[in-house]
Amino acid sequence: MTTLTFPLSRIEGHARVEIEVREGQVISTRFQAMEKRGFNLMVQGVPAEQMPVIVPRICGVCSTAHHVAAVKALEDAYGVEPPPLANQIRELLLLGQLIQNQATSLFVFTMPDRLGVQSIFHITDEEADTAAQFNIAKRALMVRQLGTDLITLAGGQFIHPVKAVVGGVSGGIDAEKADAFRKRLRAALPVACELVDYYWEISLHMKDRIGTWGDDQPAYYISSTERDNPRYNSSIIRVMTPAGECCREFTADAFRKELIFEETDYSYAGRTSYQGGVIRANSLARANMTRRMGIRRADAYMRRLRSEFGHPAHPILLFDLCRGIELVYAIELASQLLEDDYSHNEVDIPYTPRDGEGWGLVEAPRGPLIHHYVIEKGNIAMGEFIIPTVHNMLAIERALRVAAERYIHDDQVNLELEQAVGRVVRAFDPCIACATH
Amino acid sequence: MTLKQPPRFAVLQLSGCAGCEVSLLNASEWIDQFDLAFMPLVTSAYDVPEVDVLLISGGVRSDEDLHNLRQAVKRAKKIVAVGTCAISGGVANLGNRDEVRRLFMSQTERHDLPRLLPKSQPVDSFVEVDLFLPGCPPTPELFMGALLGPEDFVASKTVCQECGRKKLKDMKPAHLTGSRGGEVDPEICLINQGYLCVGSSTRGGCRALCTRPGHPCVGCRGPSDLLIEKDSQAWLESIQRVFAAMTDIPAEEIHEALLSPQLSLFLFQFSDYAGTGQPPRPKEKVL
Ligand code: SF4
Ligand code: SF4
Repeated sequence: MTTLTFPLSRIEGHARVEIEVREGQVISTRFQAMEKRGFNLMVQGVPAEQMPVIVPRICGVCSTAHHVAAVKALEDAYGVEPPPLANQIRELLLLGQLIQNQATSLFVFTMPDRLGVQSIFHITDEEADTAAQFNIAKRALMVRQLGTDLITLAGGQFIHPVKAVVGGVSGGIDAEKADAFRKRLRAALPVACELVDYYWEISLHMKDRIGTWGDDQPAYYISSTERDNPRYNSSIIRVMTPAGECCREFTADAFRKELIFEETDYSYAGRTSYQGGVIRANSLARANMTRRMGIRRADAYMRRLRSEFGHPAHPILLFDLCRGIELVYAIELASQLLEDDYSHNEVDIPYTPRDGEGWGLVEAPRGPLIHHYVIEKGNIAMGEFIIPTVHNMLAIERALRVAAERYIHDDQVNLELEQAVGRVVRAFDPCIACATH
Repeated sequence: MTLKQPPRFAVLQLSGCAGCEVSLLNASEWIDQFDLAFMPLVTSAYDVPEVDVLLISGGVRSDEDLHNLRQAVKRAKKIVAVGTCAISGGVANLGNRDEVRRLFMSQTERHDLPRLLPKSQPVDSFVEVDLFLPGCPPTPELFMGALLGPEDFVASKTVCQECGRKKLKDMKPAHLTGSRGGEVDPEICLINQGYLCVGSSTRGGCRALCTRPGHPCVGCRGPSDLLIEKDSQAWLESIQRVFAAMTDIPAEEIHEALLSPQLSLFLFQFSDYAGTGQPPRPKEKVL
């Protein structure tokens, strides 16, 4: 038996892929998380009220989602309902996270696969053969920085936000600042659309290069955004069947009853399944499970996706295109939301902490994220983090098998396999720091 | 005519959250001035090539981290430890507490994967570091400062001096406000409002990122030059003095709050507190 090992770059964290082959047959494909963060252990005994400042450090890419999930878990335990304005500011925070994450995944992580370069920082202006590639790194970073700046505006700090607090947020948003930022978003929207259009176009070229879109088989989908419109500050988890029916709805506390979670002996991350079937979370799940984006430009892209690929759509490389739709959506919607006034004072309500159990749910860029705390004497007695990447583990491995079988024949390994492995994994945009929290 | 080559730099990510890298991506100025040779988060390259500057983020948590660290430093002229994790283990110190360490050791063993070391350790426990860039994460501006040369980076000594909130003589809280503060006054010093802000002893350079929008500084930039060559006790005393002068909060209440986990980002930057037994870092080497 031969084991092929592929280290991975251009993803968050340390991971690799191992493919076992015997006499030309693919025996197994494994996706291995190589590091162990262990926040579930580290937060033992930590004063519960400090969780919102500590847990963003699980991951600097998804920090905002953890920040908000922590606050919501504490609110659930304390029986607190934040005022509507605070919820709206939290939604803005999550939109900032979405902009930053989707722009990073699209342009920094996967664009180089489309262009056949090491990184977008390795395209010199002389090499940039089309206008679309000109200055691509700077434009991409400019767009993703909007996300970070929105997080700063709504969340205080730029990577590890601080402003969501139990009972609400610690302050509104200054009207002048909001207005200035709204203008920036407006100005950047066409730039983002241009990049997304270009990305879409070069992705379609790859159709021939890979032969197919990779793993195109149906799967279960999981998401917590709403049925009619996306909403990232979410409250209900939904599962869709491979045929596209919405089969199940549940709140975060029912997670263990609804999904099967297991550890593996070859990875520091676990994995989940739904009734024995492969689940997919992340952008494609949301696109399949939300009727429309509810805003002009994003809806135009959504219609294009549906008319080109149908509904529900299964090809894995559509994850990337859906990220593009969400990027446009988040910029467009944030600039619309910022027309409202967030500068007034009813942004939090008083509360009394108490012991007990709480669940916090948000739709992170990678899917539903759950924080679950048991609080005793004001301290965390048990902290559990249910990470969206973990829902995609089986789907990643299934897609890797499709790629492996495609490029391994008898005792020949087509060198394209290495590229394919990278593309397959990046389509799911896994986050290893989170998955091993 | 030969064109001057831009300096080459690499980013080695050990065990951390990638927040430091995300911050670096917000400082897009380096694109024109530097050649990024290696940063697995954004480039497909698997070995650190010869570089002028090596930025290292994250703590040393596994045998693989240690191996990668030792290999990488051989190829770099200048070594910069970036972020609280690389400098002190940062938030990972919460996992170094004995009772938690036991859980780690008993639960995390996988066939064929990197093995965890008994404790998360700072980079300079193993290799020589030329410059420390504290922050969780350091701001894009600080990253540019480290890359372009710390000599030219201008900052105040403490976060307090960069914050600009007014300190009032006649507003003395009797207790800490805790996290249930309600609304924060945008002009007045957070200590006057009863918040446990440690900006007065934290090194400047972040431009008071957290305190300006109203959140107390948790000290991620570590001790200011006045304290950095001392020990954690000196820091605790200095904060006590500030609170004694500005508030009527009992010393015991402050003391207890200062030892709380969210300040571990700060406290563990003292090697005596972290128990690494190393001499304090010389202030000339810290940006
Ligand atoms: S210092 Fe902070 S931002 Fe940097 S890796 Fe550590 S936790 Fe993340
Ligand atoms: S204000 Fe304090 S906690 Fe915030 S970035 Fe600056 S040093 Fe770090």
